[in-house]
Amino acid sequence: MAWNEPGNNGNDNDPWGGGRRGGDQGPPDIDEVIKNLTKRLDRLFGGSRSGSGGSSGGQSKGNMSGGFLAGIIAIVAVAWGFMGIYIVDEAERGVVLRFGEVLNETVQPGLAWNPPLVDDVNLVNVSELNAKTYENRAMLTTDENIIDIEVTVQYRIEDPAKYVIAVENPERSLDNAAESAIRHVVGGNTMEQILTTGRDRVAEDVEERLQDYMNVYNTGIFVSQVNVVDAQPPDGVRAAFDDVIRAREDEQRAQNQAQQYANRVIPEARGQAQRQMEEANAYKEEVIAVAEGDASRFDQLLTEYAKAPQVTRQRMYIDSLQDVMTSSSKIMIDVEGGNNMLYLPLDKMLEQNNSAIGARPTNDQEWRDLANEIAPYLPGPTNTGSVDRSRLSSGSRGGRP
Amino acid sequence: MRNFFSVGFLFVLAVLVGNTLFVIKETERGVMLRFGQLVNADIEPGLHVKIPWVNTVRKFDARIQTEDATPERFLTLEQKALEVDSYAKWRIVNVGQFYVSTRGNVSTAGSLLAQRINDGLRDQIGARTLIEVVAGERDQLMLDLTAELNETTASDIGIEVIDVRVKRIDLPDDVRSSVYDRMITERNREAQEIRSRGDELAIGIRADADRQVVIYEAEAYRDAERIRGDGDAQATAIYADAFNKDQEFYAFTRSLNAYRETFSSKSDVLLLDPDSDYFKYLKDGISPQ
Repeated sequence: MAWNEPGNNGNDNDPWGGGRRGGDQGPPDIDEVIKNLTKRLDRLFGGSRSGSGGSSGGQSKGNMSGGFLAGIIAIVAVAWGFMGIYIVDEAERGVVLRFGEVLNETVQPGLAWNPPLVDDVNLVNVSELNAKTYENRAMLTTDENIIDIEVTVQYRIEDPAKYVIAVENPERSLDNAAESAIRHVVGGNTMEQILTTGRDRVAEDVEERLQDYMNVYNTGIFVSQVNVVDAQPPDGVRAAFDDVIRAREDEQRAQNQAQQYANRVIPEARGQAQRQMEEANAYKEEVIAVAEGDASRFDQLLTEYAKAPQVTRQRMYIDSLQDVMTSSSKIMIDVEGGNNMLYLPLDKMLEQNNSAIGARPTNDQEWRDLANEIAPYLPGPTNTGSVDRSRLSSGSRGGRP
Repeated sequence: MRNFFSVGFLFVLAVLVGNTLFVIKETERGVMLRFGQLVNADIEPGLHVKIPWVNTVRKFDARIQTEDATPERFLTLEQKALEVDSYAKWRIVNVGQFYVSTRGNVSTAGSLLAQRINDGLRDQIGARTLIEVVAGERDQLMLDLTAELNETTASDIGIEVIDVRVKRIDLPDDVRSSVYDRMITERNREAQEIRSRGDELAIGIRADADRQVVIYEAEAYRDAERIRGDGDAQATAIYADAFNKDQEFYAFTRSLNAYRETFSSKSDVLLLDPDSDYFKYLKDGISPQ
C-alpha cells in the first residue's frame, strides 16, 4: 500500500508526520521535522535512548555524535526547505504531483512553497492566448480540386492538470489534430465554397472538430478561435484563376463599352429626330407662307388685271419674253425665203459659246466678231446680217409678272 | 571513530531508502518484478516500497502517445493512388501485457501499431472510392479502423487505440499535374463563358440602342412627312383658292414665269421665226394695223 493513499487526508500515513502539509503549502516547522527524524533514527538503532525527545542522551560521546548528526541533518533540511520556494506568475497555475499523484488544487499566483523531491511542480501558463499557423499546401477538396490553405489556431490551456498529465507532448497533438481537422473540412467542401463564400464556415467547422479532438485526447487545451487566413488555388493554376477574375472585368468592360455606345447613339438619334421635326415644321410654315404670299400677289395682280386686261396681258407678255430673249442665245431664221434644208452645227456653236464663257466678249465689237464667225454656216442670200448683232449684254430681269 | 561510523550509517541509510522507496507518477504505469518474474502488473500512482535487489520496477509512460506514421501510398477502389499521412493516438491499458510483448519499449509498440494501421488503412481505403476517402466517409473510415485495431491491440500489445486520423491525403505527383490541367481547363472554360456572356450582353445593348435609333429615325421621318404633307396641303388649298378666281390668267402668268425660268442661261439657244408675235414690230414696222 502506498504511504499516502490518493484521496485521503494523507496525514496519518505521511512518513514525515508533518501534520500541516496536507492542506496548506506553508513551510513546516523545521525543528519538529528534525526532532522527529532523530527520534526515528534512534529508534531504528534500537538504542537505549528511546522515549526521551531530542538528543539528550546520557553518554557524553553519544551526545557529541548526536549533535553532529543533527547539525548535518539541519543543514540539509534548511537547504531542502529553501529549494522548495518558487514564484507563480499571475498568468500561471502550478500543477503539483505529490509522489506522482496530482493534487486537486492548483497553485495560485504568488509566492509558494512545495517540498522538493516530494512534490513535483509544473507551472503552466493558462491565460496566454497562443497562436499557431498551419500552412497546408495542395489539399484535396471534395470535387477533386487542389487548394492551398492557411489557417491560424488560437488556443489557451484551460485545464493545466490535464495538460500536464494526460498527453505526451500536447502541442504536437494539437498540430496533428489541427492538420487532420483542416484536411477533413477541406475534403468535405467544394473548392468554390472554400475559396469564396464558405470561408467562415470552414473556420467554424475546423474549430468545432479540433475542439472535439482535444477533448478526446484530454489535452486540456481550449481552442478559442480558428481563422482561415488565406485560401487560394496552387501556384500552378493561379494564372487560370486570375484569368477568371480578369474575365469578369472584361465582361463588365464589354457591357460598359456597349452602354457607352448606346448612350452616344440614342441621344444623337433623338437629336436628329428633333432636327427632322424642326425642319419639317419649318418647311410647313415656309410653304404655307409662300403659298399665302403667292396667292396674295396673284390676288392683287388679278384685281389690277381685271381693270385693263388687254394692255396688262400684252405688257406682261412682252416683259417676260424680253427677259427670256436677253438672257439666252438666240438665232433667228427666216425659213420661208430660204431652202428647206438648213444645216446648223448647233453643237459647235454651243461649244464656242461655252468656251466663250471663259473669255466672255465684253464689248459690241467682240460680239459682232462672234456673229461673223457663225455667219458662214447660215444658209440663204440673206444669211449675212440675219444674225442679230445687237445682242444686249444683259437685260435687267424684271420681277415676276 | 563514532563520527565516521555515523556518516557511514547515513550513507547506507540513503542507499537503502533509495532502493526501497519508489514513485509512480500519474503519467506513468509500472510493473514490479521479483527476480524477473512479474508480481505486480499494474502499480498505482504514488509512493511505494519494494525489497531492494529482489524486486525491480519498470515504469512506462502512460500518457496518450502519438504514433506519427510516414506517408504511405494506397490504392482506392477505382485503383487511384493516394498518399496518405496518418497518425494514431494510443495509450497503455494493460501494463503487464505491454511489458511482456514489447519489453516495455514505447517505440517498439509504436512501430507495431504503425504496421497494423497501415494494413487497416490499406483495407479501408481499398474498399472505398477516392471521393469517399477524401470527403464525407472519412469519419466512418477512422471509426471502423479504430474499432478493428482495438480488437487485437489490447490483448496483443496491451495498448488501446484512442483515435486514428488522416493528416494528409495527397494525390501522387503525376496525378496531381493532370488534376492541375483539369483545373486550368475548367477555369479557362469559365473565363470564356464569362467573357462571352459579357459580349452577349454588350451585343444586346448595342442592338437595343440601334433599334431605338432606327425607331427614332423612322418616327421622326413619319412625323416630319406628316407635317410637310400638312403644309403642302394647306399651301395647295391656298393656291387653289387664289388661282381659281381666274384660271386662264393664272395659266398665263404661270407660263410666263416658266418661260423665264426655262431660258435663263446663255447656253440655251433659241431658233426664232420672225413671224412670232414678239417680232411683230420687228418685221412689220411701226405702222399701226
